[in-house]
Order: sequence, then structure tokens, then C-alpha cells
Amino acid sequence: MTAAILSRGGAAPVFIPVDIGHAVYAAVTDPNTAFWALVDKTRIEEEIAAGPLLDSYRAKADSFARELHALRFELKPSGVYLNPTERCNLDCTYCYLPGEQRSNGSHMPPEMLTASLGKLRDYFRSVMPEGRKPRAIFHGAEPLMNREAVFAAIDEFSADFVFGLQTNGTLLDDAALEFLTSRNVSIGLSLDGPFAGITDATRKTWGGKSVHDKVLAAMEKLKGYGSWSVITTCTTENLPYLTRMVELFHASEVPTCMLNTVRCTLPGARGVKPTDGDMAKAFFATMDRTHELYRETGRKLMVANFANILIGILAPTARRLMCDISPCGGGRAFFALAADGGLYPCSEFIGLPRFNGGNLLAEGGVEAALASAAFKTVTTRDVDTFSPCSDCAIRHFCGSPCPAEAHEMNGGMEKTGAFCEFYKEQVNYALRLIADGKANDYLWDGWDEDTETVFNHALN
Amino acid sequence: MQQTKSKQQPQTAATVPAAPAPTIAVRKSCNPDGIGLSHYVLMDKKAAK
Repeated sequence: MTAAILSRGGAAPVFIPVDIGHAVYAAVTDPNTAFWALVDKTRIEEEIAAGPLLDSYRAKADSFARELHALRFELKPSGVYLNPTERCNLDCTYCYLPGEQRSNGSHMPPEMLTASLGKLRDYFRSVMPEGRKPRAIFHGAEPLMNREAVFAAIDEFSADFVFGLQTNGTLLDDAALEFLTSRNVSIGLSLDGPFAGITDATRKTWGGKSVHDKVLAAMEKLKGYGSWSVITTCTTENLPYLTRMVELFHASEVPTCMLNTVRCTLPGARGVKPTDGDMAKAFFATMDRTHELYRETGRKLMVANFANILIGILAPTARRLMCDISPCGGGRAFFALAADGGLYPCSEFIGLPRFNGGNLLAEGGVEAALASAAFKTVTTRDVDTFSPCSDCAIRHFCGSPCPAEAHEMNGGMEKTGAFCEFYKEQVNYALRLIADGKANDYLWDGWDEDTETVFNHALN
Repeated sequence: MQQTKSKQQPQTAATVPAAPAPTIAVRKSCNPDGIGLSHYVLMDKKAAK
């Protein structure tokens, strides 16, 4: 533990009250340890001053500080995002990759992909516990533009990695589906609207053709497969239709989706950025709708990005997505490999050459990239050290995503990302669900089966 | 108290309890292994088709 952490953890814990917009409960947090409690709104002053809650927490505060510090600063990479090509057959409004790369870029040659995975396998073996496989996720650009190389790599390295593939779905023919599902590759699709007119507003071919129906066809064929998901990027174009989006996903038996705020890293995305207030209103109405669908049918549609916020509150170390923690997962829990062999903290940076940490196949490889100034710029972005995050009561439930967005849109790593107010409201919404005893309705069954309860005020 | 800007959920006058509501505070822990990001979520908990 660093001196800085000790100095925070060694001081007497102080609770910060937070109005979560609930009829009965307010939250109190110690943001230094990501600790929270929900207390009767009429008793905030008493709970903050003294009493059994504070006593119980004081007994645990140092261990929670150590746990959070390990999560934030001591992880080794266990996943890689592979870009096997620079090209994409679509020209989406908000893509974080430059248009010139996507239209005229290069494929990674098959032998280079093989050599890269070999080197990555050796690296992960050196840092991961024996018996645990690293994750390798092909995405892009459109990875199936370089399908032959990708499929050969999956077969050659099936014993070494857990593979995933994020695709726009347009090239996912029957043979590709058979190949991927028979090898238990986790498949992610993208769809932005409940009908073509909405999807087409942000996702279409370079020639302007709709791909909506092709994605729907892929979704139909994936019904019943255990390991697939769909991402919707929330923009001004589809926000009024977000509720219908989850109705479509639920009816299509999509097990998991993500309803992501548009990442505003490149200027094109900023033109379809909704306001925080509009985003919050539509998002919470949509989450309410997923709950209604669950109550009506008994079947959950997981909204993974929101589930991750809930889990980040209930069990900080159990989160799966590493955008909502500071420093984020880029360059420390995972990194990205570009089609030219360049290493970046996250794919979000691939269009930004200053964040290139070196070449995988060059001397030094992954270790040199992790130690590079390019990576350190990202991995040292710490919400404890810059305003307004450093004074925020929920900063370790939010993480102030995303560093690429903060740097490019707002002018520096010590800036917030694009949706600060929305993220605050999202945490409040999550805390209201916990207060109402509904949190598990928004989480996948068994989400906590590998966890241990380390604090339960009712039992203390 | 830190405030938020959005509207609160609709409330009813009848929800104020006679006794203070019980405090809720739970924390779980495990070995971290998250690697997901906003471009992708790995769902590897279920069997293949």
C-alpha cells in the first residue's frame, strides 16, 4: 500500500451524504474505499457522527482500502483486444477509428497474426496463474473482413485463449456462425435501432445501404446460443426509441446487451451526443422497461453496462467491465493490438498515434509497451487527483470514463469524460434499486457465487 | 449533502415510516478478473449451443 493510500486509510473515516432521490433513503459514502450505506433520510446526521454503522465500517476500512488499491493499481493484464484489420465495410457516424484506415487500411497478414498470438500467449503465461486462460477478443474495424486469418488463429490457439469476437454482423454467414458457435466463441453484435430507419441513421455501408435486416437475421440465428450479446450505442438518433430497442432484444431472446453512451473520442461522435439529462431520462425509462419485461415473462435481459455499475457498488472487485474504475482497465487489465502490430492501452486510442506504446513483435513487446510513456499517461489517470472527481462521493463507482474521450474532447487526462452528470444519476438510480430490494432483478443469476460477503450491516 | 440535478422519482406522502428505516450496507469481495470495455462484454458463463 502506498503512503498516499495509508494517509487516507489511516485517517478517521468520514462519511459523505448523497441525495439519491429516494423517498426514504439517502446514501452515505466513504469514496476513498468505495464504501456505501443507505440510511434513513431523517437520521443522516446521527449516522455520520457516531454509532454502530460507523463503528462497523471503521473496523473494515483499512481492508477495503487495500482491496480497492489492489483493484486500481496492482492488476496484471489478462486480456487483449485484437484488431486483425484496419478495414470495415461500414461507415458508422461515431466510430473511434479514423475513416481513412477503415476505408483503405490493411489487413494483418495471417502469419503476423499467428506470430502475435504466440508472443501474447507467452506473455500471459508469464503473468497469469497457471490454469487460467487469457481472453482474446477480435474486434475492429470489422474483424470478419479478415476472416480466414481470424478463424485459423482461433483454431491454432484454442488451448491458449478464451476467444471472443465483436462484429457488425453483416458478414456473419451460416458457415461463420457454425465455426464460431461450435468453438464456443463469445459473439457480440451491434444494432442501433428497433427498425431500419433508426439503425441507418448511424450505422450503414460506405455506399449508404442499410444493414439493419442483416443484423436481425444474425440475431435470429444466434437464438439459444449461450454466449452472445448486442451493443446499442445511444445517440441523439435513437434515444427516443431505446425502450423499443430493449423490447426487440427481449423478444429476440438476446441474453445480454449493452446500452452505451456514445464515446466522443473523435469529432464525428460529438455530433450525435445526447445531453446528460436526455440520456438519463431515456436510459432509466429503458431500464424500468427491462424490469417490467422480466416481471411479465420471468426472463431477464441483462444490460451489462448497467449491471456492471450495480456490481461495482455491491462488489467492487467482481466488475467485468473496466471502464467504470479509475484508472480504467486500458493498459493494465487489458491492452489492444492494432493491425500494424502497434500496442495501445485500449482500442479507443488506436486512432491517436501518441498513445502507441510500441510494436508487439519488436524487442520488449508487451512489457515495453506497459512501461511506455504512452501507456503511463492512461494508467496514471486517477480520479483521486483531479477536480471535480477528487471531491465526488461516487468517484469509484463511476471512474470518470473515458480517458480517450476526456483527452480528445475535453482537453486532457485530468478532465472528466463526456457524461459526468449522467454517470452520477446512474449511480443514484442503482442505489435506489438497492434500497428497494430490486438489484438482483438487474443482475445475471449467480453473479455473486464466486464472491464472499465481507460486510453486511444487518449481521454486524 | 451532494445533490443531483435530475428529478426525483415520484413519491407518495404515505411512505414515511413511523420508525427509522433499517440501514442497508453490503459489500462482497472476490478475486478480480474483469477485462471488458464498452466495445465488448465477454459472456462466458454459459455453455455453447
